[in-house]
Amino acid sequence: MAGPGSSPVCRCRGEVTGNEHVCSGLIRLSLALPREPGFVPGQFAMLNLPGPDAWTFGRPLSILDWQDGVVSFLYRVVGRGTAQLAALKPGDQVTFLGPLGTPFPTEFEGCKVVLVAGGVGLPPLFAWRHRFPGSTVAAYFGARNGEDVPWSLLGPDWQIGVEEFSDGSPEHVRRGLVTDLLEVDFPSSEASPDNVILACGPWPMLKAVHSLARERRWTCWLSLEEHMGCGYGACKGCVVPVNDGDGRWRPATCCQEGPVFDAERLAWSELE
Amino acid sequence: MSLNPQWWSVDPLEPFRLGSRLIPGRVWTASGCFAYGLTGHDMTAPGFDSPFIGLGAVVTKTVTPGPRQGNPMPRLVETPCGALNSIGLENVGLEAFLRDVMPALETRGVPFIASIAATCPEQFGEMAQALQQTGGGLRHWHGVELNLSCPNVAEGGHDFGKNPDTIAACVAAARGPLSDRALLAKLTPNVGDIAALARSAAEAGADAVSAVNTFVGLDVDLATGRPILPRRFGGYSGPAILPLALAKVDEIVQKAGVPVVGVGGIATAEDALKFFALGAVAVQVGTAQMRDPFAAAGIARRLHHPG
Repeated sequence: MAGPGSSPVCRCRGEVTGNEHVCSGLIRLSLALPREPGFVPGQFAMLNLPGPDAWTFGRPLSILDWQDGVVSFLYRVVGRGTAQLAALKPGDQVTFLGPLGTPFPTEFEGCKVVLVAGGVGLPPLFAWRHRFPGSTVAAYFGARNGEDVPWSLLGPDWQIGVEEFSDGSPEHVRRGLVTDLLEVDFPSSEASPDNVILACGPWPMLKAVHSLARERRWTCWLSLEEHMGCGYGACKGCVVPVNDGDGRWRPATCCQEGPVFDAERLAWSELE
Repeated sequence: MSLNPQWWSVDPLEPFRLGSRLIPGRVWTASGCFAYGLTGHDMTAPGFDSPFIGLGAVVTKTVTPGPRQGNPMPRLVETPCGALNSIGLENVGLEAFLRDVMPALETRGVPFIASIAATCPEQFGEMAQALQQTGGGLRHWHGVELNLSCPNVAEGGHDFGKNPDTIAACVAAARGPLSDRALLAKLTPNVGDIAALARSAAEAGADAVSAVNTFVGLDVDLATGRPILPRRFGGYSGPAILPLALAKVDEIVQKAGVPVVGVGGIATAEDALKFFALGAVAVQVGTAQMRDPFAAAGIARRLHHPG
């Protein structure tokens, strides 16, 4: 039976090789793993503490990068679990279950691809950018201010939008929401229906990206964030309303049918 | 601690008889915690660990006569030693279960027990009849577990699962069509006298009772001052309920002498062994299976190869 991604799910222990801030709000966690089944951008892993300290449920983190036996993630401290993650030191052990979830599509024949990331939503787009460098037309990252931008990860080929702009910012940094930048760079009067937009970030950003894509008749895929239980489709604890075209919505697991969804399939009226 | 104490002579990987049915092993996954035993993820690739090797049975997610959308989000609350859930019996419905799930499990050779819920004894009887008609020729379908105690739905479930007479009526209705499959009644712990429920189920024809389902719980969002779950209450599970479940199982064994499948808070082989020590004939792994799809199979194999 084929999984949503292309790789078998591996459960193993990883050893922390790095756990450092890449900007004020984001921490990059790197784990050395004994196995490397591969992943597709948009997939995630459930991380947990080993032994009796384990949380009831793992924490789902999107995969930023996975090569040479080291997988890495970005996270923000938002609660008990991520605070404990932030305290991990090199050499500490973490349990890993992954790769999980339905990833972004990887082929858009004849289309140009626009990547849009907001804050901690960067990993799946960063991974996509690196996996398919030739097909991307533009990559955007949005943050509140320059301190929230992971400069070490984002080269000048990323367009960066910050709400609080400071003088002396690099040339590829502009003031405004990331969707404001998109409005300027892709005026709706010059819409090219062949474009595809892939996005991950805070909910208001995803809503704005979706309406921008609709105006331009672009295909739009969104990676959603949701509190999860099992992370692999077993518990039905993380559902998102989707339309299957029969006029009714049904709950779809964010962890298995998602986290990446075709924006047109989401039941937006139920999400409000 | 030794996993091979002197009182322990049973191999949980050996088949055992439950009623007239031979069940492949004594460590199962609990209903609602491992979907229908099949998720979209490939967990059985060559060279990788398997969630099925050593597993006695998957008790599938409860199905109802028609499909259900389940409860609104949020549906889960994590607590320091457990979880509250209010999934609301989201399921594909009996028709899709018979058409899609049963053949898929049979093809993959996954031993399974179908969990069903209904709102009256007649409906339980009809569902059992339909399962028998479709599954009668399947090798890997071993039985039915009646969900008499799901606390997350407004109708049926929890309330009639507290009444010994209704339990007897539901069990009797389902027993009729199920001649050569095991029949289990899953009991709620949220009652004064759980042994009376177990006795009633056994007298009506259940081969065993599964004890226990979740305890009623509630958590509050301090930002709003309101319960976190939209339906206020949820089912509390996880390591926190292990001693509570052990006490309920002991009560049933001591007072009613009915075969019990122990469930509640099992996360390790040691936890499972405690249920066997009290006389449970099998155990189910629930919340720990959500954290780790390989949990139940791992527990079974550790009990088979102690140390």
